[in-house]
Amino acid sequence: MARQRTARQGTAPEGTGREGSAGAVRAGTRNPLVIVALALAVCAAGAAGWGGWLRYEATHDDAAAFARTRDDALAAGEQAVQNMNTLDHRSLEKGLDSWEQSTTGDLHRQLVDGRDAFAEQIAEAKTVSTAEVLSGAVTELDERAGRAGVMVALRVTVTAPKGEPAVKESRLLGSLTRTAGGWKLSALGQAPVGGTGG
Amino acid sequence: MSTTRHLVNRRRRLATAPPRTPGAEPDQASEQATATATATDTDADAGPQAAQDTASDLDADTDATAGSDTAPDAPGNAPRGKASRLRVGLPAVLCALTVLLGAFAVWAFASAGDLRDEPARQNTALTDIGRTSEVKGRISEAVGAVFSYDYASPARSDRAASTYLTGRAVQQHKDMLADVREQAPRQKLVLTTTVTESGVEFLDGDRARLLIFADQSNTRTGKDEETTYAAAMFAVDAVRRGDTWLIATIDTFTR
Repeated sequence: MARQRTARQGTAPEGTGREGSAGAVRAGTRNPLVIVALALAVCAAGAAGWGGWLRYEATHDDAAAFARTRDDALAAGEQAVQNMNTLDHRSLEKGLDSWEQSTTGDLHRQLVDGRDAFAEQIAEAKTVSTAEVLSGAVTELDERAGRAGVMVALRVTVTAPKGEPAVKESRLLGSLTRTAGGWKLSALGQAPVGGTGG
Repeated sequence: MSTTRHLVNRRRRLATAPPRTPGAEPDQASEQATATATATDTDADAGPQAAQDTASDLDADTDATAGSDTAPDAPGNAPRGKASRLRVGLPAVLCALTVLLGAFAVWAFASAGDLRDEPARQNTALTDIGRTSEVKGRISEAVGAVFSYDYASPARSDRAASTYLTGRAVQQHKDMLADVREQAPRQKLVLTTTVTESGVEFLDGDRARLLIFADQSNTRTGKDEETTYAAAMFAVDAVRRGDTWLIATIDTFTR
């Protein structure tokens, strides 16, 4: 019976309870510990918000994605140009495979078509070519179309069975196309010299 | 609300303080007294039993929430107990929040910094289209002017050198053109350099590196006129001074 009474009357002190907690909150905000904790939390929230925004900006930066694509294209282009100028008659198949792997499109087709004749030629000449990329730059990049233009300064050393190794420097212009297997050369040629052109 | 608090406290008392069990009966009575007392909103009117009850209530509360800063002389009741919990709870929650948010902030700043320092991002060649074409145009012009020489007006070459060159490039240029300068008057040399292709390898603010392919035509206008062409390739480091780009070093890839 007593239980019932208290249970029924339990609703009555509700008002005083709310009053009490409101007073406690007021008392709580006056508490220096709470004020300091609140200030720190607000500062931390501000820093977190700022940091989060910076990070969001950093990850959703189109220019950065473009820059990465540019560097990927350049790295692939330089490697492909180097592969295309490296050939050892003692491991002809491996070298020509790497030529084919570095290329796509028309250039790739030309290499596949001319492979046998070229292999014969090199086997006969017994030459070893090594290439060193001196410098390279991307001249144009169309990220959407997946096309890029590169220019590469190359030093090629050709060693024949007789005589001194011949060193020549090449100015190469290449076109790259993006494929499922990364950037590949679709065209490669020497930069034309004004005098020879006409 | 306050009723359940009383019940909880009572159970706690019963569990933790066995010697007090005989006082359980008056306790219950006092509970009713408090309930009625608070209902009429006159705490002071509650009997001595009720006073004892609320006092022990407070004891139990302060025991349960160790480190509570509730003043011992405060007239304790259930809402007060809640308040004291709130006082401890709020700073604790805020501290936890501060630590979590602070940790997130540190991580976010660090990772944003890492992303920003990425080498690809530092290099704004092609990503900054305006600057890229500006430096390309300006350096192509500079290379053309600096590596051209007309025996008839050697002063123009000097002027170009002082306009477009800075730092180490000044001496490099002097050495490169030494032969031309020497032979020019005798052979009536006209050297013309045209940049055919240029690409920006690297661009970061006021510094840039460009790869240049250029054609050089060398014309001897002496007895038998003769023009030879040469293909040149080199890289230049450029620096921006004011609103113009200057050549700072010339790298001809010599071994």
